[in-house]
Amino acid sequence: MSGRRVTGSLLCLAGSGVLIVLWRHFAPTLRTLPYFTGWALLAVMLFLTLYNARKKLPFLPLGRSGTWLQLHAYVGNFSALLLLAHLSWRPPGGWFGATLVALYVAVAGSGILGLWWSRRVPRRLTDGGGEVLFERIPVIRRELQTRAEALALESVQAGGTMAIAEFYRLHLADFFRASRNFAAHLTGFSEPANPWRGRLEDLGRFLTPDQNQQLRELSDLIRQKDGLDRQYALQWSLKAWLFVHVPLTYSLLLATGLHVVLVHGFAPGAGLP
Amino acid sequence: MDTTHLRVERLSEDDAPFDPGFSDDDAGRLLEAAPFRDMSLPADKLRRLLHNHTRLRRFKPGELVVRAGDYGSSAFLILSGAVRVVLSPELPATLLGRRESRQRSVWRTIAQLWSSSPEAEFRRPETVGQLAGAVSEDGEVRIFLQDIPRILDRHRTATIGEGEFFGEIAALSRMPRTASIFADSSAELLEVRWQGLRSLLSDPKFQLRIDDLYRKNVLSAALRAIPLFSHLTDAQREVLQQRIEFGTFGSYGWSGEYKRLAQKGAANPELEQLIAGQNTAAAGIHIVRSGFARLTRTFGAGQRTLNYVGAGQIFGLREVFQNWQTATQDPAAEPLLYQGSLRALGYTHTLFVPRDVLVELVLPTLPRAQWPEPFAARELAADDEDPAQTRVGPGRGLGPELMEFLTGNRFFNGTAAMVINLDRCTRCDDCVRACAATHGNNPRFLRHGPTSGRIQVAQACMHCVDPVCMIGCPTGAIHRDAVQGHVVINQATCVGCSTCSNQCPYEAIRMVEVRNERGVLVTDPSLKPILKATKCDLCQDQYGGPACERACPHDALKRVDLTTLTAFERWVNK
Repeated sequence: MSGRRVTGSLLCLAGSGVLIVLWRHFAPTLRTLPYFTGWALLAVMLFLTLYNARKKLPFLPLGRSGTWLQLHAYVGNFSALLLLAHLSWRPPGGWFGATLVALYVAVAGSGILGLWWSRRVPRRLTDGGGEVLFERIPVIRRELQTRAEALALESVQAGGTMAIAEFYRLHLADFFRASRNFAAHLTGFSEPANPWRGRLEDLGRFLTPDQNQQLRELSDLIRQKDGLDRQYALQWSLKAWLFVHVPLTYSLLLATGLHVVLVHGFAPGAGLP
Repeated sequence: MDTTHLRVERLSEDDAPFDPGFSDDDAGRLLEAAPFRDMSLPADKLRRLLHNHTRLRRFKPGELVVRAGDYGSSAFLILSGAVRVVLSPELPATLLGRRESRQRSVWRTIAQLWSSSPEAEFRRPETVGQLAGAVSEDGEVRIFLQDIPRILDRHRTATIGEGEFFGEIAALSRMPRTASIFADSSAELLEVRWQGLRSLLSDPKFQLRIDDLYRKNVLSAALRAIPLFSHLTDAQREVLQQRIEFGTFGSYGWSGEYKRLAQKGAANPELEQLIAGQNTAAAGIHIVRSGFARLTRTFGAGQRTLNYVGAGQIFGLREVFQNWQTATQDPAAEPLLYQGSLRALGYTHTLFVPRDVLVELVLPTLPRAQWPEPFAARELAADDEDPAQTRVGPGRGLGPELMEFLTGNRFFNGTAAMVINLDRCTRCDDCVRACAATHGNNPRFLRHGPTSGRIQVAQACMHCVDPVCMIGCPTGAIHRDAVQGHVVINQATCVGCSTCSNQCPYEAIRMVEVRNERGVLVTDPSLKPILKATKCDLCQDQYGGPACERACPHDALKRVDLTTLTAFERWVNK
């Protein structure tokens, strides 16, 4: 375990310990405690949001993004405890409170899942090989499609048989047209291109050696396209989770702002300090 | 008739002369003048050498010939006129076409928030116009120093006159030029490229002259800096200085050759020039002065890389020392042979200290702390194909695949290579965005490059120890930063000739077409776009170091000094 991780964990535990002690000490007597925990929670949430601002200002000496991410994770964990203290360890009351907590859970959940996914997927990408820039994927896909089509056409002209071209039209044209087997690649539970390659081998029993050579080339293109689809699915997922996490964060901040206004607007009428 | 082969004349060095316009008359004139008329080399060999490896250059008063700090691959002989050497203080960076090293102010750092142009490769007008002091003649850019009387007034200088050589040590040893030199009057100079100089060394007089110069100007300081000789007295060091032999191996233009071989997939150790062979007598030690060499060991039918040896590192000391120790106990003992081979990677300049000299002067008084590590039994194993052999040698912490990867791709040259751990990299491109944000919305690297397992070396300037990109820059725009030592390009003096970009073996320099603040392409009067060379500058004017490294959320990207394995090994095994 790295020094930074140990320090972060210890600080997080220490902060949580202090919070629990303070809560136990002041909760029975201090009626304004929810205000303190509420404002502390808001401050923590604003700090967590600042990480995005750090990313937008790489030229300022604001520390390493890696350190910020670790702080983001530890402070995020701490915020859960703060939320529970703010709720006095009870379920939220009313639909607005429930919505706020639901938004918090969605933000925290997407963050935890995203972090877990970010640690897991890069290794799968590396193990699979065929490293490619995400922006280049459509270009390479088009190249593979063109080569596969040319191979199918060539088989008709050279061998006088429609078998390969027909197989391509029926089964492979759609496969090469766009990214395919997204879910299978994402989960990694199956090898989606294997059936096609197996059927190509079956077809090979009826073809000449030259045509079998073309089948092998086609099979190789399927393997490459399958690898490309895998890269696409995994790289897409690594980028996409942030499109869930970040908008949810801003929704939560907006809702929290409204919560603050409502609390301070209506608290005196409700007999609160 | 043979219809299966197309027969052509094999290319020889005569087909690629330094100056295709060099005439027979020129050669004849030179052969009748000193120093060539006094050389003992056969006349036809000399004539051929002059034809292939020299060119005549005329300089006008005040014109810069060489700049201090530049890497030059040639030396100059003054045929007529005189040149002036600037001794001290050195000419200011701006006069040499360089950029003053400076940090951005806090205000300018913050102002990047709104001041970066939305246009790609925007340049201010002052960086794309005519360069002060530059004159373009016959496609060659010539730089003239401004206000010579003031320079003479403020700097100590010396004059070199007709018949004198200069620049030969820097060219032969691939060291940066030590002083700037400009034409004092109209001067005709013969520029001799490195290959020609090496051939000239076969003339005993020329060899003696170079040796004397080298021993006097370079070796004395160099020996003081080598820890192995730090315990010697001045008198002992003087003797050592006289008995050391110099060696140059490989090819000066290795970058082009390497690119060609790499594209053919033919870059392998067997093609590299052998400096010392495995299982030959340990006749002495080789100290690498500049460039790099590969330490290999026979493995199966090929050569396995154990380590790369850079400037200041020594080959053969363990064998010589062990033999000396054994001989003191048992004079009849069989001496140890070299346990590995040393091969030139690119261009390698070495000092060879014979065994006798070491035994006489160095080893008996060598402090115990400097004794080399003795060979372990498994290192001396007779079976070269034993898989255990892959677990010995300095690169054992990285494994044989990674060692071959680093060496084969010549990455040992980089002092700040961008390495990426693909097992941690989420391909988020935060590094690319950070680079763009700190360089006016223009990223200066590609997050893509050669990969070995989980390690990728991205296409970013590595700020090489041996910066081949700096050889041949006509205006000195690409240079080492005087303070931090990074290789940087002064946009104001870059003339867009692409020399650096073509030379870089790692394809880390890109030529870009520049635009003005309205996004309009800037062209010369003949409507050809103005090009500028661009590359990573390690964010040297920004606070906090390279933005790419600081921007990585998963600590997957690191700028690493690959000239030694220590930092890289620590990072890989973290």
